[in-house]
Amino acid sequence: MSVEELEVLRKKARNRSLLGIFIGIVLTVFFWIILESPFFIFFGIVLGIIISVIISSKPKREFTLAFKNTYVLKSLKGVFTDLVYEPEKGLDRSVIADTQMMYMGDIYSSNDYIEGKYKDINVVQADVHIEEEHESTDSDGDTTTTYVTIFMGRWMVFDFNKPFKANIQVSQKEFSNNKVSNWGSSIKYKKVAMEDQDFNNKFRVYAQDEIEAFYVLTPSLMERIKKLSSTIKGSLLFCFVDNKLHIGIYNNEDSFEHGIFTKINEEKIMNEISTDIKLITNFVDELSLDNDLFRRKV
Amino acid sequence: MNPLYIIIAVLVVVLIFVIWYISTSNKLNRSVIKIDEALSGIDIALTKRYDVLTKMIEVVKGYAKHEKEVLFEVVKLRSNMSLKEKNEVNNIMDENYRKINLLAENYPELKASENFKTLQQAIADVEEHLQAARRFYNSNISLYNQLVVTFPSSFVAKKKGMSQRDFFEASEEEKQNVKIDL
Repeated sequence: MSVEELEVLRKKARNRSLLGIFIGIVLTVFFWIILESPFFIFFGIVLGIIISVIISSKPKREFTLAFKNTYVLKSLKGVFTDLVYEPEKGLDRSVIADTQMMYMGDIYSSNDYIEGKYKDINVVQADVHIEEEHESTDSDGDTTTTYVTIFMGRWMVFDFNKPFKANIQVSQKEFSNNKVSNWGSSIKYKKVAMEDQDFNNKFRVYAQDEIEAFYVLTPSLMERIKKLSSTIKGSLLFCFVDNKLHIGIYNNEDSFEHGIFTKINEEKIMNEISTDIKLITNFVDELSLDNDLFRRKV
Repeated sequence: MNPLYIIIAVLVVVLIFVIWYISTSNKLNRSVIKIDEALSGIDIALTKRYDVLTKMIEVVKGYAKHEKEVLFEVVKLRSNMSLKEKNEVNNIMDENYRKINLLAENYPELKASENFKTLQQAIADVEEHLQAARRFYNSNISLYNQLVVTFPSSFVAKKKGMSQRDFFEASEEEKQNVKIDL
C-alpha cells in the first residue's frame, strides 16, 4: 500500500475520532445547559467517548492493519527468515503462565505476534498486557473498579541450545509481580545467591536446582545480562524453561504502533520499527545465543 | 529502681541473646549443609568426568596401539576424599585430557571418528557442570567464611568449633575456559 493510500485511511480514522470528540462536547454542553446537573455533564463526556470509540474503531483498525502489513511486515522480512507476522494475534496466555514467572491477573491481551528465525535461532515475540481487576467499596456503598497493570511490554521466546534440566527464573529487582510462592505449585523454586554480588543486587534468581542455575548463568552470561539491563528501558525478566529462553520486557509500551493523529513520515517510521525489531535481535546478538557453545548436543 | 524491672530487663536481654545465638547457629548449620550439597555436586561432576575420560582413553588406546610414549596417569576415585585429594584428582584428569588432545592431533582418523567427537562433546558438557558445581561450592564457602570471620557471628562459630574452609581451586584450563565460556 502506498503512503498516499495509508494517509487516506489515517485521515478517515482521525476524522471519525474527531467527530466523536465533537459529539461528546456537544452532548456535554447540551446536558450542562438543559439539565444543569454535574452528573449529566459526566454522562455527556462518557457518552461522547463511547460514540467516538464506536465510530472510529473500524477505520482505526483498518489503518493499523494496513500500516503494519506495509511497514512492519516489510522491515521484519528483512531481518527474519521463515517469518510469520500476525498483527492481531498474540501469544497464548499459557506460554507465559507456564513459566510461573508472575501473577497472571484477570485480564490478558496480546498482539503483534512474530515468529521467525534470526541467525538460525527460532524467535517468537508478542506485545503482552496483563492486568488485575480491583474492586473497592466506599462508605456510601459505591463500588469502584480499577485495573492494575501487572505486565505491559514484550514477551520473547528464543531457542537456548545449551541443554539444561531445571527451570531458572531471573528478574530485575524493580519488577515486583513475581510469583515466588511455591504454594500449590508442582515445581518448587529455591532462591539462589550467585557469586556475583553486583548481579545479586540487580536481579533475583530462583531455580529448581541451584547448581543448574550456576551451570546456565555463567559469569560471562551474567555480565551480558547486566549490560543489557543497563541499556534497555524497563524491567527485564529471564526464564529458562524446557531449553527455551523466555525474556519479558516490562516497559509499559506497545510496539509497532502508529498514532492516527501523526502524519506518516516514512523515514521516521522505518527508524522506529527498526528500533523495535532491534530489541529482539539484540538479545540473540548480545547474549550470543547463536554461539556454537549453545548448540551442543550431549 | 524496682528490682523486678532490673530482673525483667536482664531476662529480656538474655532471651534476645539466646534467640540470636540459636538463629546464628542455625544459619551456620544451614551454611554447612549447603556446602555439603555443593560438595556432592562436585563429586557427581568429578565422577562423570572420570567416566567420560576413561571411555576416551579406551578409544584413544584403540587408535594409538603403537604409541609407546603415552602413559596416562592412573586416577582413583574414592568416596570421602578430602578437598585437596579432589583437587589432585581433577588436576590428573586435566593432564590426561591434555594428553588425549595431543594424541588426537597425531591421529586424524581418531579426531574424525564419531565416537571421539561425541565423547569430546560429552567432556565439554561435563566440564561445564564441574565448573558450575565448583562456583556453587565456592560461593557457599565464601558466605560461610564471612560468617565465621565476622563479628558477632564469629563468636557463635568459635563456640561451635567452626573454622574457615578452603575453596575448590579452578584448574588453569578451567580458568581459561571461563574467558570464552558463555
